[in-house]
Amino acid sequence: MPETLFDKVWNRHIVAADDAATLLYIDRHLIHEVTSPQAFDGLRLAGRKVRRPELSFATVDHNVPTENQLDIREPMSRRQVEALRANCREFGVTLYDVKSGRQGIVHVIGPELGLTLPGTTICCGDSHTSTHGAFGALAFGIGTSEVEHILASQTLWQGRRPPTFGIEVTGSLAPGLEPKDIILAIIRAIGTGGATGHVIEYYGPAIRALSMEGRMTICNMSIEAGARAGMIAPDDVTIDYYTRIDRPFAPKGKDLDAAIADWRMLKTDDPASFDRHVTIDASSLVPQVTWGTNPAMTIDVTGVIPDPGQVPFSSREDAERALEYMGLKPGTPVSEIPVDVVFIGSCTNGRIEDLRSAAVVFKGRKVAQGVRALIVPGSEQVRDQAQAEGLDRVFIEAGAEWREAGCSMCLAMNPDKLTPQQRSASTSNRNFEGRQGPGGRTHLVSPAMAAAAAVMGKFTDVRTLLAERV
Amino acid sequence: MEPFVTHRGRVALLDWSDVNTDLIIPARYLKRIERTGYGPLLFADKRYEAGKAPEADAPEVHGTPLPDFPLNRPEAEGASILVVGPNFGCGSSREHAVWAVAQAGFRAVVAKGKDAGFADIFEGNAYNNGLLPLELSTSDWDALADAIRASAQTEVTIDLQNLTLTVHGSSGDRVTKIDVPEGQRQRLLQGLDFIAETLQHDAEISRHEQGRPAWLTPTLA
Ligand code: SF4
Repeated sequence: MPETLFDKVWNRHIVAADDAATLLYIDRHLIHEVTSPQAFDGLRLAGRKVRRPELSFATVDHNVPTENQLDIREPMSRRQVEALRANCREFGVTLYDVKSGRQGIVHVIGPELGLTLPGTTICCGDSHTSTHGAFGALAFGIGTSEVEHILASQTLWQGRRPPTFGIEVTGSLAPGLEPKDIILAIIRAIGTGGATGHVIEYYGPAIRALSMEGRMTICNMSIEAGARAGMIAPDDVTIDYYTRIDRPFAPKGKDLDAAIADWRMLKTDDPASFDRHVTIDASSLVPQVTWGTNPAMTIDVTGVIPDPGQVPFSSREDAERALEYMGLKPGTPVSEIPVDVVFIGSCTNGRIEDLRSAAVVFKGRKVAQGVRALIVPGSEQVRDQAQAEGLDRVFIEAGAEWREAGCSMCLAMNPDKLTPQQRSASTSNRNFEGRQGPGGRTHLVSPAMAAAAAVMGKFTDVRTLLAERV
Repeated sequence: MEPFVTHRGRVALLDWSDVNTDLIIPARYLKRIERTGYGPLLFADKRYEAGKAPEADAPEVHGTPLPDFPLNRPEAEGASILVVGPNFGCGSSREHAVWAVAQAGFRAVVAKGKDAGFADIFEGNAYNNGLLPLELSTSDWDALADAIRASAQTEVTIDLQNLTLTVHGSSGDRVTKIDVPEGQRQRLLQGLDFIAETLQHDAEISRHEQGRPAWLTPTLA
């Protein structure tokens, strides 16, 4: 029987199954401070242990301030971080704390540490666990009860085998276009519920041409289309990720050879078919900008704010509520919308390549007057690397703030927040109401587009800025 | 977990699509490390006047509720079944969203559209907390919503034993068949702790672990 990539990974993790449910073994469990305290409490109450502490890894990211990581002033944030430290000590789980040199957003450090491997199952109490699917892992977010379940049993119950959704991305990205534009265009095309219940496999020449960083950006936002997980079959680019740079926990030597031989078989067999399928042409894309309060509310940077009666996947009432919240009028060109704050970072776009493409735009330019630009590396590793490449100098000379690693302004749990009605260009993944701070107005864009908004003070087609350089 | 066999109650209607978990419970409340206290925080940024929502460390203390928000209307008072539009609970995996709905007094959430009513993680979290997530076909859902709009006193009975949902409308009862995955149904009927159940599979888990290649266990060389 021909199998999809997903089938292969799913099948090798089945511990027990009946008609209605499957018990899956979970190879890697990633933990952060927000969704774990009640799970550890549950273990304590039931007198249970962590079954395989060597398969769980923790870090602190959501509550950590990015100006000075050590200075958590907010008592509730501090208590939450301290609870994780105490829980990891008590239950024997490895914690990558601030200043360890390895701390960062959980989905950025998993791959860096070599914990994320092709063909594995990876769970975390965080919906953006889909990021790790870029390596050909089956990776998905879970709730706190399930965090407790994995800690206790290293397994998780799943319903019936989920259906698959093949998303083929043909062509190639033009200069100035980024992986973020691909995934925003996909969500725009299929809707925020478009992949609900499905596991997506991204494939095609435009996906093959991407680095691991770019693939992670795409898989990261699978959840924004409602998908259970997003996956990309491993190839030379994937294998290079483990052979070119030392990944502390990845297999080495003979083990690595054996692993690579195995990873080469992880692909969808030729005649296998997906339950659903769409094709997107990367060559025809222009930079994407979200205008509303969910990530399917996306338009081209060259476009205008739509009429609320003409918004795909949204009723007129829903679209009117979004326009009102965003303070926008139909017919306004995107290029006339000013921004107050620019945030470059998050598990979507806080990796080294993202910072490089922002730096290309910032170099020799200044952040526009009245605009605040925050550049937040996704991990301590990314921060070190960016500094080694001198990117920090580019940002600081442009007048942007170069911060420490954390989730930062992706969500309002640490001091980096929008104030009511402030408008941001953000490289994160959610433009929900209040996501970056109560009343804040978020527009999702690529790192290059965010940098362009920072230097121009309004949304700008980054291709025009790049053309000035030629 | 409290078993769910049958439940009869009044209904609150929130006819919005794509209600995300940031809306159900804003991120600042996720700083709580307790599993309780989330009821008053449900929809906090929609439910209270600006600046009058509770602080994370004092959920019971809040200012004036906004009278227009559907769950604040007098007819929603005391409702124990929440009726919502499609793709409810999309976005983050935070179980706090389910805790907030359940602790605000709801035993079931009824969403619009088969296989389209709930985001996956929210749905799983709901089952794990004994909150029944039910998806109705668009026509059944519309009939229910119409009945609620016609009379705010409409009651609904959900019978998990017989898999029916009955709308006790002004013109008599209307019975609809419902689907609940069998494993989840049994767990809800019996109020089972799913970890205890899983640990009965210990031998199978150990067998799987023995079959894993050694390089799958992370070690620092
Ligand atoms: S960066 Fe944002 S989306 Fe990613 S883990 Fe942190 S809060 Fe979640």
